[in-house]
Amino acid sequence: MFNKENKLEKFKDAETIIGASIKVKGNFHGQGNIVIEGTLEGSLKTDANIFIGEKARVTANIEAKDLIVNGEIKGSIKVKSYLSLGGTAKINGDVQYGELSIERGAIINGQLIAINDTNKKGEVREAEKNQETEE
Amino acid sequence: MEIRLTDLGLNGKIIRLGGIKNIKGTVQNEIKLGAKTIVAVGNNQTVNKIIGAIIDTDIYGDFQKKTLLGIIPIGDDNSIAASFGIRNEEDACNILLARRIEKIDLGLVGDHYFLNDAIIESEGTNINLGDYSLESEEKGTVRIINLLSDKHNNINSNPHDGLLDIVITPRKKSQTILKLNKFEVTNENEQLLVDGVISVKLPAEVSVVRDLVSVIVGKERSFQ
Repeated sequence: MFNKENKLEKFKDAETIIGASIKVKGNFHGQGNIVIEGTLEGSLKTDANIFIGEKARVTANIEAKDLIVNGEIKGSIKVKSYLSLGGTAKINGDVQYGELSIERGAIINGQLIAINDTNKKGEVREAEKNQETEE
Repeated sequence: MEIRLTDLGLNGKIIRLGGIKNIKGTVQNEIKLGAKTIVAVGNNQTVNKIIGAIIDTDIYGDFQKKTLLGIIPIGDDNSIAASFGIRNEEDACNILLARRIEKIDLGLVGDHYFLNDAIIESEGTNINLGDYSLESEEKGTVRIINLLSDKHNNINSNPHDGLLDIVITPRKKSQTILKLNKFEVTNENEQLLVDGVISVKLPAEVSVVRDLVSVIVGKERSFQ
């Protein structure tokens, strides 16, 4: 079972925290862990991890390594590693993920696409092509 | 204190400044005459003005980069000295003698340099970075920090990282923290208070200049 407390640990020393009273507009791209408790419109990207708080409202395409969502997102999501959707998460958009955890109550309006699965299929197709070429 | 400095073998010219207005000219004149170290004896206001004079490269060019800054805190409002681990006059004399030197980043708002921070009311304040902007929707404070240690508010800035810490603290909601190196601040009604002494009209560009000033610091400074 997904342990929310443990997953929040890694955000204790987040370099970027956008509080509930803040509205961000534009392309917000960082390198460290990012916590969003406020409003964001545009795009959101980091090589590290993102935590979206329960009252956060994000209208943006999101890219991250790990992503924990408890708030609302309108836009597509691409998570290389681990995506966790809490019970209050509401997502309107397509979701690409490495690993996925969904808590009861989460809402998703969009396609769920496993990146690893897609990669594996791609690798199989490449291998088949190579075999055909060799023959 | 003069006796203590003499006892420690720290001899130098002592200039008593009548008012804050003539600091720049006086300091620059002494640098021109060959002073290698300028010791600011006073509070944040004195230190801020002396830094402005030391690093004003328009007049003396690269020559000034060799000028060291020492601080002896007097009276109240000495957060700059505290950040450098200089708690009182006695401390300051020993620290000057030990001569431990650190190159420090400085914040820059318009034409004004700052060591500690620049503060403004958060309501109506916009921070623009070109790619994105931040807007606060509640009353509170925006602090742009170069060097400050405030454990109570989870602030421990690093004046060597080439970044300024932005801390937005609203009255009720959660705090915002991020690190930036160059941005514009706008607010139609408020001014930015730099190091607690200078009010700067907005909009203004804020940036950080790396390793701009060499300071004699104490062991107990708030940064490594």
